[in-house]
Amino acid sequence: MSDIPVPSQHEVTREVADVPLRFPARRAWWIAFGIALALLSLFVVSVVHLLMNGPGIWGNNMPVNWGFPIFVYVWWLGLGHAGTLISALLLLLGQEWRNALNRFAEAMTLCAVICAGIYPIIHLGRPWFLYWMFPYPATMGVWPQFRSPLEWDIWAVMTYLIVSAIFWYIGLVPDLATMRDRARSLAKKRIYGLFALGWRGQAIHWLRWKKLYRLMAAIAVPLVVSVHSEVSLLFAAGQIPGWHSTIYPPYFVLGAAFSGFAIVSMIAIVVRRAFHLEALVTNRHLDLLGKVLLASGLMTAYGYVFEAFDALYSGDAHEIGTLMDRVGGVYLWSYWGAIILNFLPLQGLWFARVRNSPLLLFLISASVMIGMWMERYMLLVTSLYQDFLPSSFGRYTPTFWDWSTYIGTLGLFLTPFLLFLRFIPSISMFEEKEIADG
Amino acid sequence: MADRAPFGLLAEFRTAEDLEAAVHAALDNGHQRLDAFTPFPVEGVNEALGLTENRIGWFSLGGGILGIALMLAIQIGSNFNYPINVGGRPILAWPAFAVVDFELMVLFSVIVPVLAMLILDRLPKLHHPIFNAPRFALASDDRFFLLIKGDDPRFTEAGLFLDTRNPVSIERVE
Repeated sequence: MSDIPVPSQHEVTREVADVPLRFPARRAWWIAFGIALALLSLFVVSVVHLLMNGPGIWGNNMPVNWGFPIFVYVWWLGLGHAGTLISALLLLLGQEWRNALNRFAEAMTLCAVICAGIYPIIHLGRPWFLYWMFPYPATMGVWPQFRSPLEWDIWAVMTYLIVSAIFWYIGLVPDLATMRDRARSLAKKRIYGLFALGWRGQAIHWLRWKKLYRLMAAIAVPLVVSVHSEVSLLFAAGQIPGWHSTIYPPYFVLGAAFSGFAIVSMIAIVVRRAFHLEALVTNRHLDLLGKVLLASGLMTAYGYVFEAFDALYSGDAHEIGTLMDRVGGVYLWSYWGAIILNFLPLQGLWFARVRNSPLLLFLISASVMIGMWMERYMLLVTSLYQDFLPSSFGRYTPTFWDWSTYIGTLGLFLTPFLLFLRFIPSISMFEEKEIADG
Repeated sequence: MADRAPFGLLAEFRTAEDLEAAVHAALDNGHQRLDAFTPFPVEGVNEALGLTENRIGWFSLGGGILGIALMLAIQIGSNFNYPINVGGRPILAWPAFAVVDFELMVLFSVIVPVLAMLILDRLPKLHHPIFNAPRFALASDDRFFLLIKGDDPRFTEAGLFLDTRNPVSIERVE
């Protein structure tokens, strides 16, 4: 596997920097961008309709009053986590192969966190009062409730968004300098130059940069764990059967990493094919991604087993009732769908042949994405629709606007991500050169 | 302006090892005002130039403490300012406060050292004399540059010295 020739430093610059400068796949990009913009328009229409008519346009109502906005939020945020893990954790562990993946994985994180963050905001009912979540000396004399997980949420997501953006940008500055130096037109030189902050590769700058970058990585890893743990506490801190469990924080974090590695694999496969970067994103990278996906998937499977065990071992009638609702209730499709899509195709990754096949890895990853979506649906809806009092049992049916908002967020994700692929070097050039230097 | 001292002499090398060796040789030759520009961090060059930097971690620690202190002050202040009794639970609920305290600690322990790095680096600075050298653009590609600054005590001998290191090019930077 390691007999693939390592590209020289200049080849790295040429192959990566020339993607934004002499964009190779203009037609495909415009088609994709057109689709993304169409989806984004759907999102805008849905949100405008929501602002005019209120959350009643959605299917969430008693007893399932969280519905799409919250489980899709959890799903999006989870996807984002792999970007930070690949970037930060693998950097600290000295896994150099991450250098080919970290840039677009982090960009994916940013786009996914934007999609995640918008959901609780539009779910507020009156999103224009978002600022009530922040502590400011209000004329009404009230403050946000810092003892509530709902208040923790905004701080966790906000911190995560800002720190991911800074981590991504600081890692990008030296490459923007390369773009500045390589761009032909004055306008491009100026724009890239402005964002490169005048980076000149001076020895002392590199020294400080490296210290800062590793330090931020060391901080980002516990941050990722804390963010999805915090999200799980939105559920676990309540009394609802099926939520009130100590397995929730690790279960959520691992599921997040699992779905995130799936989307990173998909993006890696598409990017390397569209931009002919097979020399940088090699089959070895796909092989390693496949292994990480398999490992995080098996850990997520452990969460499923333990969740069922937890309910049975508790002996609590409501806990067991919720478990039964999951495996045999109205929404059993979401439980079995999650198990089948998450874990059956995944077993193919035990074989090197499957891991090395871009098509199979892509299909398995897509299956995981859908499976994890079903899992988040299952965790939320099956716990809420029949909790304690039979008199308050109910059903949950998503409406057209639930779906249109969700499908619209795909545009909210794809639009900035496609702009990233078009204008920013999608692979970290200087870190690849560092490897090439040996 | 003809007699104004130049910014320095810039020599271009093909590999990091060549640059590192050149730095050592320049120091042996009595040059003191040296600098290096590379496409990626090269530890050997930093060591040869005797560069150290230990402040970034301290800025991060300070930022983290500031973040925790700020958020604790807000949480304690707001809960005393408008105490809400939720089923007799304590007003100062430390386990519940800890989550947001942690997030603010993380936020500030990243923002403060980033600002510190930019200030210590004197960045953003879009104009720098080194950019006047036409071949300097390659410093962000695959070339390694040694600069002997114009205020070096033995600057007059810098050109002769650099010639002995067989660089790809030597440029006078104004």
